[in-house]
Amino acid sequence: MAYYSPESILTDSQKAPCTFELGVPGLSPLNNGSAIEKGTKLDLPLWMAEMLAVSKPAGPSSASLASLDMPSALGQRVMNALKADPKSVDVRAQAQWFYGLGERMLELFEEEEMVDVLLDSFKQRALEIADKAQNTRNVQKGGDNDFMGGLDEAERQLFRAAHDGSSAVRKWFDNSSRS
Amino acid sequence: MAHPLPPGLVPSEVAFLAEMEHVTVIPRQRLAGLELLGGTTPALNPPFPVPLPLWLALLLKRQKRANISPPPWLSVDGLSHILDFETDERTADLFSPSPELSDPTSTAPLDGDAYLAHEALELSPPFLKDAATARAQPDALPYHWLELGHLLLTHAADDFEDPDTVRRLLRDLREVRMSKLRKGFRVLGPGAGVKMNGVGGMEVAEVRGFVGGVVDGMRKINKSREESRREQEAEDRENGLESSSYREDEDDDMLS
Repeated sequence: MAYYSPESILTDSQKAPCTFELGVPGLSPLNNGSAIEKGTKLDLPLWMAEMLAVSKPAGPSSASLASLDMPSALGQRVMNALKADPKSVDVRAQAQWFYGLGERMLELFEEEEMVDVLLDSFKQRALEIADKAQNTRNVQKGGDNDFMGGLDEAERQLFRAAHDGSSAVRKWFDNSSRS
Repeated sequence: MAHPLPPGLVPSEVAFLAEMEHVTVIPRQRLAGLELLGGTTPALNPPFPVPLPLWLALLLKRQKRANISPPPWLSVDGLSHILDFETDERTADLFSPSPELSDPTSTAPLDGDAYLAHEALELSPPFLKDAATARAQPDALPYHWLELGHLLLTHAADDFEDPDTVRRLLRDLREVRMSKLRKGFRVLGPGAGVKMNGVGGMEVAEVRGFVGGVVDGMRKINKSREESRREQEAEDRENGLESSSYREDEDDDMLS
């Protein structure tokens, strides 16, 4: 993770569900002021959730402060949909930085299948993006807004990169034919 | 941190470099050699053809002081031959090869230094000599084929025998090769690249952002697997194979 990268900061601020294993009175501001007890479920930003799940409080019990659950964006339902047809899933509705979230969760959980599903859908969708970036007029007219609207931020950057490349070439062609 | 420019050369920079390529010029007026940073240009003595950098050739052409003789590959015959190769079923997966590497010559400016001796210099596509002069290979596309073809066709169209057909062939060629390149994207993976032998500079500049983004994105998703594989390998090296299964169990406990 790059320190100065706004993308990784935004990725880390996405929410992940956490279940507290212990009562933590000092953290009540997180729960809108009401006390956090054992078993309280909260959606916490990824960076904080990770700290709480990894850190072990001093004391007799060896349990960690909170346990981290898989966010619903990466749940079985979404994975099944991605497996069925990667191009029809509105990834953005799941999470704005979907692949970033997946990447962070895969650091914490060992999910061989999820790596495969994410890799495959990223690739399938990237090929589609390359095609769409070629004729942007179609996209602007709203011919395929479903797919384009469902891209997550990383995929949007990919779209922009593909589009910038071909438009820079086109621009050079135009400029050099004029002068 | 955000960089103002994407990594690598952008298309306009590639095109700028393409103007350093030498083309054959048939002068109409006398001109003594010019002292340039890259060396002295040969004196122009009509009607003897000389090689000149493309930018100078275009300048002289615009002033009607010279004609450019297009390279042999930029002709109807040459281009249709290359197009046949590109569209042939047997070679459908390949890009037409770049020109053959020339034998080292003995005109090295820095003779005497073993490292800079011409036998030790191996020239590869962007630096090949005579890629666009009248002595170029007729059946191979040089590295800057797209830029050269476009510049010559726009600014020196009257030096071609049949500029419209050449223009059409060039456009066909570009489209065929671009669709091949896109087909190549399918093999991209976290650790795989596209084989890009024979792809021109402009084509590379066009797809660089996208290909880099895809490989980078997939590498990120694959990071956890890659790391565990690397750890596994390191442990195998340390402990020998029999203890590796035990260590794996321990890792699982820590993660769940």
